[in-house]
Amino acid sequence: MIRRAGCAGLVCGFLAAVLAPGQPLAGQRNFVSCPIVRDTKTVPCFLAEYEGELYFLGIQQDITSDFHPPQLKHQVLVEGRVVEGPRICGGIPLRPVSISVLKEVNLACNTLLPAEPGIEAPPASRGAGPSSRRLETVSAPREPLSGRQEFTVLYSFNDDYLEYAGNRTVTEATAYAKRIGASSVKVSGYRATTLLSSGDRLVEKAGLAEKRAQNIATILRGLGVAGVTLDWKSEPEPGDGQTDPSRRRVTVVVTP
Amino acid sequence: MRRLLILFGIALTLSAQYQNSFKITWIEPGSNVILPEFDAFDNSNGTLGVLNASGPVNTEGHPFFTALGSNKRACVNCHQPTYGMSVSAASLLDRWRATDGKDPVFAAFDGSNCPSLPQDKESSHSLLLKRGLYRIPLPWPPRKADGSPKKVEFTIEVVRDPTGCNTSREYGLQSAQPTVSVYRRPRPAANLKYVLSGGQPIVLKTGLLADVDPETGKPVSMNLMTDAREATLKTQAISAVLGHEQARVVPTPQQIDRIVQYESQVYVAQMAHIFGGPLAVPGGPAGLGVAALRDHPAGVLGDNESDPVFGLFTAWKGNDYYRSSVARGADLFMNRQFWIRDTAHINSIGLGNPLKRTCATCHNAQMTGQDLSAGWVDVGTTNFPTWTEPNTWAESSELPVFKITCSRDADPHPYLGRIIYTTDPGRALISGRCVDVGSIVMQQLRGLSGRAPYFANGSAKTLREVVDFYDRRFDMKLSDEEKEDLINFLGAL
Repeated sequence: MIRRAGCAGLVCGFLAAVLAPGQPLAGQRNFVSCPIVRDTKTVPCFLAEYEGELYFLGIQQDITSDFHPPQLKHQVLVEGRVVEGPRICGGIPLRPVSISVLKEVNLACNTLLPAEPGIEAPPASRGAGPSSRRLETVSAPREPLSGRQEFTVLYSFNDDYLEYAGNRTVTEATAYAKRIGASSVKVSGYRATTLLSSGDRLVEKAGLAEKRAQNIATILRGLGVAGVTLDWKSEPEPGDGQTDPSRRRVTVVVTP
Repeated sequence: MRRLLILFGIALTLSAQYQNSFKITWIEPGSNVILPEFDAFDNSNGTLGVLNASGPVNTEGHPFFTALGSNKRACVNCHQPTYGMSVSAASLLDRWRATDGKDPVFAAFDGSNCPSLPQDKESSHSLLLKRGLYRIPLPWPPRKADGSPKKVEFTIEVVRDPTGCNTSREYGLQSAQPTVSVYRRPRPAANLKYVLSGGQPIVLKTGLLADVDPETGKPVSMNLMTDAREATLKTQAISAVLGHEQARVVPTPQQIDRIVQYESQVYVAQMAHIFGGPLAVPGGPAGLGVAALRDHPAGVLGDNESDPVFGLFTAWKGNDYYRSSVARGADLFMNRQFWIRDTAHINSIGLGNPLKRTCATCHNAQMTGQDLSAGWVDVGTTNFPTWTEPNTWAESSELPVFKITCSRDADPHPYLGRIIYTTDPGRALISGRCVDVGSIVMQQLRGLSGRAPYFANGSAKTLREVVDFYDRRFDMKLSDEEKEDLINFLGAL
């Protein structure tokens, strides 16, 4: 069982149903908790507590950032690696870190701390006011792709929402498949397991692999990609506690 | 030379307006007037400008100004140039009194609270007369393009029905053609190049395919309607003629083309303040006035320091009371930080909850302040507990209340969960998705002075009430002076 404040009601019931014993992981922190928001004189920091220790997850950026902050009113699944060095915003930094907002509303997750002298957010590419730069809507030029290509769309835990990065990946796959007149475009969906630091396992819901694959295939076809086939793996990918976020995915293999 | 002539015409018209304040113009269908290239109409804040960028418009036989259906209505009934190509509640009340309720704008179908009510009674049209709301009957469940029912993620129950329409055996949810009636303001049919710009193949807020133009197959902005249910001006016009005008046949392609052509060249903006004088002046803020709207490129993101949403107002930072207030209001709009919280399709799309930002984060499209991406957002106007209606049951409550129960399999509304009380499920009535309950497409912020009341449900009688709502909703802690500045700024748009 999850043994943390803030795990209550429906979410705890859900977790209890899917957890099974496992092995703890060194240097890795995988846990479910309420996020904590700390204001600063610039942008807010997002933190989370686990077994009496506070961890720094990241700061508010914009939609193009790799870090998508957690949300109050929701628990968050944190999967990150402890980084040696000074604390940030009072928390031990985790890098890389994957953030998954759990879907069910949890009103207990509502901690917003005021700014305090001496606690500063690291520099942000975008402040809390209007941007000092224009939001980039076009990818930087890169080497043209050729041959068989595999594109991978990653997801938050138990989610099929296509985030900004996935949106760009699908757009790139579409452009490539159309440019080369692909002979086949194979979409494969997966769901996965997360091994928590407690040793318990958290498994994504049944049917999610199919739904993820269907969504991507629908988009590709809708954007005019021909020859799209799809499959999905109904059984969840195993969790190792280190690379679990990379297995919550859809792959798109484009063959000339 | 042409621009000089237009400016001269604007000056002359404004001058005439000052001498002839509170001129009221209501164009009736078939009145066969010629609309000038530029016209100006008084409102309580000053003068609204309407620019026909293609030149004067002869309304004789023009399908926008001609009744095409069975109820004697035309598009112009609800999209009057005088009122920013929308219509104000005050003008509707004037119209009721002038025509003893016989104007086709009060057609039983959607100009009354419900067609089943006695149509000669003012109380049967109370939502239109008090709040400028038309009944929008939507099929339930929603339909796909081929007419088949969409899969929906929630059930809908009527828990309060002050109009009687949602529980009506003839018009309601349990009728032979199950229908949900919601009540909404008509959006301005102007500045539409901005409203239609920004279509992306994949909707940022949903991660799903955008709707496409059925003729071109290209993605559309999905910012056209309160619930984004129509893809293009053409589909909207056809739907409006068949619905609002109760036509029995589809309008001809030529009629639709003329409607779309007219709508696509109309620009509306406030042109003068009642005390502050002309707004679009040389050396002044470049974003004010109708000519700026005509000339500015559409689809430009304005949430940045160098080229903000409505341009720079530095020229007005000085001693003039009104102009400096507008400039401060523009600064507040762009720069005043507050916690944007619990707003579905803003906080829930990877930006975090709460989000420390400004008005311009969401109202980010240059010149109109809509969202450049498909802009449906649950800011809280329709869903309990932040809705604009009384928070306790009251005889005076005017809107229906629905109970939405989302299925266990569906993603819940990100901040309200699976049971939601709402006066208008908004986008969810089209998408069938629980996460969309209460989400309403952002409106453009131009010509506001001519078309009160505000919000899709007409709940804010004044711009002060709009600002007060946001102040409460996001705990902005605005001072009275800041509120006045924001009101002056919004009123100048």
